[in-house]
Amino acid sequence: MALTRRGFVQTVGIGAAGALTSSWIGSRGRENDIWSLVEPSLHAVEPGLIVLASNENPIGPGAKVLEAVKAAFGEGGRAPGRYSNQSRDLIDAIARKQGVKPENIVLGCGSTQILRSATHLFTAKDKPLVATIPTYEECAGYAEMMGHPVRPVALAADFTIDLDKLADASKGAGLVFFCNPNNPTATYVGARSARDYFAKMNRESPDTTILVDEAYFDYVTGQDHDTHIPVAIENPRVIVARTFSKAYGMAGLRMGYAIGHKDTIKKMADWDGGSGTGSLNVLAMHAGTVAIEQDPSFTANERARNKAVRDFTMKWFADRGMPPTDSQANFMFVNIGRPAKEFREACLKKGVRVARDFPPFEKTHCRLSFGTMEEMQKAVAVFGEVLGKKAAAA
Amino acid sequence: MSVSRRGFLQGRVLPFSGAFIAARGMEAYQADAAQGRGGGRSLVPPGVKEIRISSNENPLGPGHAVLDAILGRFPEANRYPFNSTPSDTALTAAIAAKFKIKPENIVLGGGSQELLKNAVRAFTSPARGLVTGSPSFENCPGTAKKLGRPIAEIKVDSAFRLDLDAMIAAAKGAGLVFFNNPNNPTATVHGARSVADFVARIRQSSPETVILIDEAYHDYVTDPSYRSAVPLALETPNVFVTRTFSKAYGMAGMRVGYAIGRAETMKPLEKLKMPFNISVFGVAAAIAALNDQKHIDAERDRNTRVRAFTLKALGEVGCKTADSQGNFLFVDVGRPAKEFRDACAKQGVVIGRDFPPFEKTHVRISIGTMEEMEKAVAVFKGALRPVSTSTGAQTEEA
Repeated sequence: MALTRRGFVQTVGIGAAGALTSSWIGSRGRENDIWSLVEPSLHAVEPGLIVLASNENPIGPGAKVLEAVKAAFGEGGRAPGRYSNQSRDLIDAIARKQGVKPENIVLGCGSTQILRSATHLFTAKDKPLVATIPTYEECAGYAEMMGHPVRPVALAADFTIDLDKLADASKGAGLVFFCNPNNPTATYVGARSARDYFAKMNRESPDTTILVDEAYFDYVTGQDHDTHIPVAIENPRVIVARTFSKAYGMAGLRMGYAIGHKDTIKKMADWDGGSGTGSLNVLAMHAGTVAIEQDPSFTANERARNKAVRDFTMKWFADRGMPPTDSQANFMFVNIGRPAKEFREACLKKGVRVARDFPPFEKTHCRLSFGTMEEMQKAVAVFGEVLGKKAAAA
Repeated sequence: MSVSRRGFLQGRVLPFSGAFIAARGMEAYQADAAQGRGGGRSLVPPGVKEIRISSNENPLGPGHAVLDAILGRFPEANRYPFNSTPSDTALTAAIAAKFKIKPENIVLGGGSQELLKNAVRAFTSPARGLVTGSPSFENCPGTAKKLGRPIAEIKVDSAFRLDLDAMIAAAKGAGLVFFNNPNNPTATVHGARSVADFVARIRQSSPETVILIDEAYHDYVTDPSYRSAVPLALETPNVFVTRTFSKAYGMAGMRVGYAIGRAETMKPLEKLKMPFNISVFGVAAAIAALNDQKHIDAERDRNTRVRAFTLKALGEVGCKTADSQGNFLFVDVGRPAKEFRDACAKQGVVIGRDFPPFEKTHVRISIGTMEEMEKAVAVFKGALRPVSTSTGAQTEEA
């Protein structure tokens, strides 16, 4: 069954707002576009607004990384005037950190560029993209823009990925977008189950490439969790995407990368590799190099900080009869029993911004990113006020 | 229309595959080569201070307003550009205000390179190819080659200017014409009347053809006959202009560019634009730069002075140079560019890559600071002395 993105949303039975089912998704970018639809006057984040909408690290990249940015100004502040060759240093640093070779790495302007390159290369008019619904929309949006079919796969009842269903849908696909943990549902698939799925795909659909998006990797606390980088460097049909936008706190700098088999990586680099004359800015490359070389305690601390906030927030909802899905990320997906739009607008009036709609669950579920503990304590007070009232505002 | 698929990389030193270079960008290759890593070997001996005049950069970088703006955004390094203050839509608004146009007339790019690449994707097809100058900036033909699109490379005229008549003839039935004004690497420019006439004639003979006028070096032009084609683009279907912060604005490392045209011309580029393509720092830097016109005016004056000095010095040793309206010179050194480049690199002076079909005679030299150019000119003079051909330059030349 070949479907466009429009169908992707509609088939799963979603009466999403008309505007959302148009091709907004491929054109500009999720968060950007949805907010310009919902709130056309958005130009700035007002002081005091608590932003829980985009799965960002609320603390930031830390002093070491920002010092590296300042150092990247160079003598007399002249360095930003130069095209940069720093991409090589960053690739080397990533290779050391991940235990792979430089030939296994291609950089991107955020993982966005990685997701686009993979979709560009591995889908076609007769090679669909397969993705769960909901998931992060970049690949489906890009495939739609290219006129390549998209095959949606519904999640299991507990909002995890149903691997059997995914495997059936993946047969004959060009690319499977495998977001783990999955955005927006925050659930994850354990390492062994995922590897069984990859192996099954290799047997039953050897020409299908699987893009494993590990954007939220550093936030997972589940015991059977592991990266699939070791699989990817050996298997030309598995690619891992990573980003500095989440746990590393660098969403504003735009830096991501893919790790894979050297032949796969070469294809991606040849088509659209990030570099200092292309999509990658010199400050981000310096920042990324320092970020990935810093002590692993940086991500461990961020993981622990996030977990405390996550436990607090999830408990708050569970205590009120709204148990969220099992979050392994820096956001959660929760049934609030009313349209996300209504909840979002009411929260925004009280100074808290939460995420966009995620069809097919936009009538019942909301995605909340975790801020700092202080922010979440304020936010739950707002949620309490909003959810306590009967839905009258909309 | 004479369609040539001759690779634009033909004849260049290729330690790796051509595709590798095309993917990473020409100037990155150059930069890597200068440092002896990845893309090629460095000929700059260890310990020799490098004068990098290879990539048409502003040697002084951005102004302090820009650096301050970046520092001011440190607290928002963790926010996506649409969540920052100002957001990326504010950069579009600032550009719109500068040109007195609407946001729908503008598409932002990660440098103008993203826009050039996407223009080839959007406007060419296997049936409707690309027309470009030869030599000219290689980004568009590089992309066209990857996509298997026909390419017509039209050799510049005897004054090293883009050959208008020949490009008009080649444009019939083409998808996209890449018109670089001033033209990199020859640095020559066409005046406003010639450009308007060029556009009108293509509109008449091939109305479906899209014309991309790349004004990357706009701020360096001193020829009074030149004017920006932005007003022309706004009133003419299928014409758009690209600009960049990488040249006079001194922000090559920040990766910010933009395209201007009629809303309907911009739509395909907007559609292909990569989401979040400009960093929070890039957004803030570009807005600050647009508000600092003095910095640009000072950079133009500085470049004009250093350009005149370098031209004169090269003229004194008998080197002819095309009329430069950019921050670089295209110089007849009467010997292969590689030979001259390698000799200069040994003295720490790194100049531009080969530009076929003139790689046997011409080099591209970017304009550095006056101090740099004084030193560089001395090195050029040394390199221009007759040398034996046995330079040990075995190597990778195809």
